[in-house]
Amino acid sequence: MSLLSTDGLVKEFGGLRAVDNLSMSVDDGELVGVMGPNGAGKSTFFNCVSGVIKPDAGTVTLDGTDVTGDSPESLAHQGLVRTFQNTRELETMTVRDNVRLAAPNQPGERTIPALLRSSAMQKHEEGVRKRADELIEAFELDHLADEYSSSLSGGQRKLLELARALMLDPDILMLDEPFAGVNPTLTGEIADRIADLNDRGMTVVIIEHEIETLSELVDRLVVLQQGSLLVEGDPEAVLSDERVIEAYLGGDAE
Amino acid sequence: MSVLDKLPDGHGDRALLAGLACLLVGALFAFTPLRAQLPSALYVFVEVGILFAIYGMLVLGLDLQYGHTGLVNFGHVVFFAVGAYATAILSAQDSFSGLALGYPWPIGLAAGVVVAAVLGLALSATSIRLRGDFLAIVTLATAEIFHSVFVNFEETFGGNVGILGVPRPIAALVEGDTRLVVTLLVLGGVTLVTLAAVTRLTEAPYGRTLRAIRADELVTRSLGKSTITYKTQAFVYGAALAGLAGGLFALYNGAVAPGFFTIQVTVTIWIGMLLGGAANHRAVLAGLAIIMGLRLVSRFALDVTPVSGDVFASIRLIVVGLILVAVIRYRPAGIWGDARELGVDR
Repeated sequence: MSLLSTDGLVKEFGGLRAVDNLSMSVDDGELVGVMGPNGAGKSTFFNCVSGVIKPDAGTVTLDGTDVTGDSPESLAHQGLVRTFQNTRELETMTVRDNVRLAAPNQPGERTIPALLRSSAMQKHEEGVRKRADELIEAFELDHLADEYSSSLSGGQRKLLELARALMLDPDILMLDEPFAGVNPTLTGEIADRIADLNDRGMTVVIIEHEIETLSELVDRLVVLQQGSLLVEGDPEAVLSDERVIEAYLGGDAE
Repeated sequence: MSVLDKLPDGHGDRALLAGLACLLVGALFAFTPLRAQLPSALYVFVEVGILFAIYGMLVLGLDLQYGHTGLVNFGHVVFFAVGAYATAILSAQDSFSGLALGYPWPIGLAAGVVVAAVLGLALSATSIRLRGDFLAIVTLATAEIFHSVFVNFEETFGGNVGILGVPRPIAALVEGDTRLVVTLLVLGGVTLVTLAAVTRLTEAPYGRTLRAIRADELVTRSLGKSTITYKTQAFVYGAALAGLAGGLFALYNGAVAPGFFTIQVTVTIWIGMLLGGAANHRAVLAGLAIIMGLRLVSRFALDVTPVSGDVFASIRLIVVGLILVAVIRYRPAGIWGDARELGVDR
């Protein structure tokens, strides 16, 4: 059953159609890779789906509910969590606080319980701390837990972003270039973690340029070109498809 | 469990205890025949201390808005003024100019807080989505508009004379030195309780969310936080605190006039906040104390310098400017501010 689907999605910037009548769907438990040359509309597609920008036309459906134009915060509550292409750490906060922040339903994020230091808030925060520390440890960031995230390397930031997203326990995780600017060793490690999450039932959609890692990782590849779906299917079949080769190399493949 | 275990450990709880103690001792002086005596040399210090307590509520609200949430409010004085005028109009018994409705003062004070909060809410509804510098312009303009309204709508606000005959609840109970001491204790107590409240708020997960908004609003939204709600709340809480400060000022001063609510107030609390270190409640109070202390010291210095008052006032401004330049150059996050917490390069 499809967990996330778009139907006839359109987004224009001025005269440019960044996403052009895009319809695709992701099944529950699937691991899907989205690729395409620069300017193919991958990030715009992500932004439309995750509520960062509103599509001009078309619908986005999440788990049977129409969520077109819903805000990012509302989508996060509905189980769709995303990361950003250029890692956006909360640099003025520690690694620990970055992860803790993402905890949902913390009563201490409302004024009255915060002022009264309610026991519900303290109890919940204990759980949050435990869970955050587990995630930080699982992502091998524990030696950096009290560092400000501005002092992290590119790869460590990607790991932190992933740990932070997992704090929300999403149904579907959308990763925008999780391997960009990450050294090969760490790339392999991040890929393993994504595969692991998927094995445990989480649906994952990844935008990536790193074709080798991506094609090994995903169940299905979707290739976009000029805002439309060019080819989709089994990674090997997609990569040997002439249209894909043409799109990537530009000009004639002959 | 020993008594020691029950003693509060955080700054917030200590401030709460100290604040309640101040209020209690203040009440003791006000309602019993107990009287206080001050050496006359101390009068000026007590008066500046009272003003510091009032401005302290302003700077704590501003720190919630700017220090923690990153909202640039260049018109904080407007909430102070609106609170003061609302309290004055509702509770003044008889005024030489402007409206005087003669309600009991607690109603006036409550109205001062509510009106300031409502103005904060209205401003949030229209402008809280604006990026930092645009919000700064909007708040600055709002403050100027209201200043002009207070001056020009003479029938209601009494023009440049303002509103007189505002009841002074403390002066009605005690006189002379005791009145000064009680006022300082009561207003200082309220400021300490305010400090306790904002400290609790920002130490809780609530404050974590505010600081996340300051760092990156889109990421915070993507993590499921309704940032507009938080920004609106922080703005309204700051406005309500300023309204409370305004109402208390009116009830202490016995009169309000546009001259008390110039942009100078906004400038003083901003400098105090930046000097001490934004996002640290005790630091912003300390910064404010430095800037107000400097004024006090310069008052004495005027007597021993061979220049006229006007020249001296200019020199004082230059000195304040130089201090600010030095702080920004050597401690960009403020004297007690955390540079990494605020994301400033050193």
